[in-house]
Amino acid sequence: MIILRKLWNNLHLFMALPAILLFGLFFIYPLAQGIGISLTDSNGMSAPRFIGLQNFVDFFHDARAKKDVYNTVFFAIGSAPLLNLFGFLYALILDRPFKGKGFVRAVVYLPAVISPLIMGYVWYFILQPDRGFLYHLLENLHLGTGGSDWLGNAHSALIVLVFINVWQFVGMTMIIYLAGLQSIPKELYEACEIDGAGYMKSLWYITIPMVVQSIKINVVTNIIGSLSVFEVIMALTDGGPGYSTESLSIYILRMLYGSFTGYSTAVAMVLFAMIIIPVFIFMRYINKKEFEM
Amino acid sequence: MRRKKLGLLLSGVMMLGLLAGCGGKNADSPNPSSSAGMAQETGPKETVKLKFFTGKVETVDLMNTLIQKFNSENPGIEVEQEYQKDASNVIKVKFASGDIPDITTVVEQDYIDQGKYLDLSNEPFWPRVLPAVKELSTDVKSGKQYQVATNVTMAGIFYNKKIFQELGLKEALTWNDFKANLQAVKDKKPDVTPLFIAGRESWTLGHLIEFLAHGIIKQDLGVKSSREAFINNESDKLKFDQENGPIDTFAKRLLELQEAGLMNKDALTATYDNQKEAFATGKAAMISQGMWVVADLLKISPDFQIDIGFSPYPSIQDGTKPVVLSADDSRYAITAESKHPEEAKKFLEFLLQPENLKTYSEFLKSPPAFTDVTADWGPLKDQANQALSSGVNIAFTDSPSGFSGDDAGRMVQELLAGQYSTSLDFAKAYKDAWDKAWKATHR
Amino acid sequence: MKNTRTFGKYALVAGMSLLSLIPFYILLYLALNKPSRTLFNGLSLLPDFNFSNFLEAWATSKMGLATVNSLIITIGGAILIILAASSAGYAIARYSNKFHQSVFNLLLICMMIPAIIITVPLYTLMKSIGGINTHWAMILLMASNGIPFSVFLYAGFIKVLPREIEESAIIDGCTPFTSFWRVTFHFLRPVTAAVVILQGLAIWNNYGQAVFFLQGQDMRTIPLAVSMFFQQYGAQWNLMAAAAVIGLAPAVVAFLIFQKYFVKGITAGAVKG
Repeated sequence: MIILRKLWNNLHLFMALPAILLFGLFFIYPLAQGIGISLTDSNGMSAPRFIGLQNFVDFFHDARAKKDVYNTVFFAIGSAPLLNLFGFLYALILDRPFKGKGFVRAVVYLPAVISPLIMGYVWYFILQPDRGFLYHLLENLHLGTGGSDWLGNAHSALIVLVFINVWQFVGMTMIIYLAGLQSIPKELYEACEIDGAGYMKSLWYITIPMVVQSIKINVVTNIIGSLSVFEVIMALTDGGPGYSTESLSIYILRMLYGSFTGYSTAVAMVLFAMIIIPVFIFMRYINKKEFEM
Repeated sequence: MRRKKLGLLLSGVMMLGLLAGCGGKNADSPNPSSSAGMAQETGPKETVKLKFFTGKVETVDLMNTLIQKFNSENPGIEVEQEYQKDASNVIKVKFASGDIPDITTVVEQDYIDQGKYLDLSNEPFWPRVLPAVKELSTDVKSGKQYQVATNVTMAGIFYNKKIFQELGLKEALTWNDFKANLQAVKDKKPDVTPLFIAGRESWTLGHLIEFLAHGIIKQDLGVKSSREAFINNESDKLKFDQENGPIDTFAKRLLELQEAGLMNKDALTATYDNQKEAFATGKAAMISQGMWVVADLLKISPDFQIDIGFSPYPSIQDGTKPVVLSADDSRYAITAESKHPEEAKKFLEFLLQPENLKTYSEFLKSPPAFTDVTADWGPLKDQANQALSSGVNIAFTDSPSGFSGDDAGRMVQELLAGQYSTSLDFAKAYKDAWDKAWKATHR
Repeated sequence: MKNTRTFGKYALVAGMSLLSLIPFYILLYLALNKPSRTLFNGLSLLPDFNFSNFLEAWATSKMGLATVNSLIITIGGAILIILAASSAGYAIARYSNKFHQSVFNLLLICMMIPAIIITVPLYTLMKSIGGINTHWAMILLMASNGIPFSVFLYAGFIKVLPREIEESAIIDGCTPFTSFWRVTFHFLRPVTAAVVILQGLAIWNNYGQAVFFLQGQDMRTIPLAVSMFFQQYGAQWNLMAAAAVIGLAPAVVAFLIFQKYFVKGITAGAVKG
């Protein structure tokens, strides 16, 4: 009885258990197995053999993997700053009082509601050369359609993908900045005005330092999201032409399917490192203390 | 305080409702993975659930109808269809995790080697199967049959007869004639694409390699030894990386067409749908496809039937002959680990009944592979027969499972995008990719 | 001067809204056109208002069943996330000890691991618990996916919530556990709204895992049904667009309902914490 009572009184110490059990079962346990697989030559069929770090050595001699690293990094370096820049500008604009503010915010966020897969299909309707919406628009407006094969060329296809990603998730970034802007006490700006500082000055000295938390969240989620990009590329270019827009995530899945289970898991480990290193560096740079909750 | 209690109550009720909701749904929803646990159910006879795993999107609706018929004729057995786009890849995950379908359309050499399929050699239906198809269904290593194909499919060049007539063109059997035909279309009908390539879909480009490049190997070695050469990766026979070998020649030919502007400008981004539409509406003079395209073409424009012409692929190298794909289609295999092999065989026999094969063939517009089935399978019957007699009949390629037709097609995309400086570089890269995948499963 | 400024401001936000809406317009335009007018020929930007595409897409793709499946999984997953993540967030924010600290750090790190890495082991796991083609296993899996970020939001929110609100309840005889459910939980509404939107949408739109674990035709969710439709009826653009519209409409409606609390929840949970 006493034990039961004691347990009941201290139940709060076990309140994290359901979450961690669930997560442990469906993520950490398979992950541990996955790490084991990355050290083998498993092909998904015959018995795997332990080969140590051979898969990681192979990775550094794999031309296709190098190209995919380039594509993935290009996509991330293109997306993350643009998302933050436009998300912040959008938030500054929509933070001001005007009629229909809530409506416009919802509309700007709306693209993020739709699955990237379906979004990819929609943009394909728009961008297809010779028969897409944009082609016909340019044609009807006599603006010339010569260079309209945006998706057929590796470089422009990557840029298009960055653009679509920024377009779709700018609302998401904006909401986080809006939240940051709204937590700034108005008195700070008043004090600033009394001092005779202009808009740009107050932006630089008050707004930006006060939204550091938003910047942190945005940069981290953007790095994670854009480095593991998958669906929008599958829907829009299928990684093509050739492998020219293939991302590391796509490569991982294709290797997994293509009898290279062990290697695929090793590449996934590399991707994990690629994500966590910039995140940690960024966190340290922005604020050493705040990361440890 | 009252409101708080209400809130707590509400969330409690919601949670209960949720649990009850999924519990209830779970009980009456078909749950094939737990068929072993059905034993405690009341009633003397337990229902056997069979999983049919397919990668053929075009037959999903038809198979559902056939399955319904089978289920009502066979109380006690319940077949359930599962379709996956990437079936040949997904089945790998299924084999690896033990979630194994009973009967499937996915048959690959690697899995045959792994003993994943049931030996069907002694089944009673073999005398009914066309000999050529039976040969293609025979495993070259063991001489046994682990799969049966219900149909034959063909692939070659489809052309627009009206355009050919107007310009006075004839079916081309040599590369120069083929190119001259395309050039004539380009010169005299500037609005029409001479050869429409659906390059966004890498499988269509993979087919070009299988039929044109591998076509040389297949006609040189014959059916049996070419299959052995592919399956055992006999590189001295395949000669993938040889200068002026099959791959090098193929790459040169394709680049010739691209340089001369004889294919669509968006060859790299156009889809299969675009290709069908362009061809069926007379905006493309020629396409490379298989018989599977015909039903869709007629859906887009029903009157187009009389204008469809079909011919073999021209020879791409001097001294070789034109080829036409004539291969086994709609294959079925029963898995070795199936818990209900007898029931699975029953379902297979049902599918092989002449009546059902007739329905299937006429729906797919594809000739049956069974001698006792007469199906009115399509408008191209006579033309197909003619093409079969004027070109060497070749089969699909047995590629290593890590180097699918999609992978090969992506390399052709790279070629068309100008990422290889010479055609020989392409041939070497092709051999490397093939060898790497072959080694992954042969060690 | 003031008028031009106001005008400029409205022009700017109108431009922003339009930019976000264009693809939706194109989708509706396609979905409402007659089959004969598939492509964007001609200058008219008005569609034919041919609503029969929706009926046809609905009938051929079993969208009704897919909607029910999606609803069960999304609602179930979201409720589970709310219950598990809020109580974990509470424990972590209020009762800091080594265990809670490491749980939190572990979840943060795992947020950065691409889920693709666990495909094969996860499939084996799902198979061995008999979870393939079931709602309950999909609900558990989806909840597990959403746990890290939701715990992060809840913990951040509860940290800035004054301790007094549950302390008074504890004096009244509640244990810390019961006081959370009786008192603190009800202050979490804004962050719960944010969790519902973010995780609900993630579950609703999940394709990568649903495609593996919900294979039976009767278990398909909306993304699976739409993509199946695209594969089967690829050439029929109008129907494809109609199916896509049907697939995204519930998400849009749910978002519009919850969006009012959204910014508030994010402000409170993520930005202050």
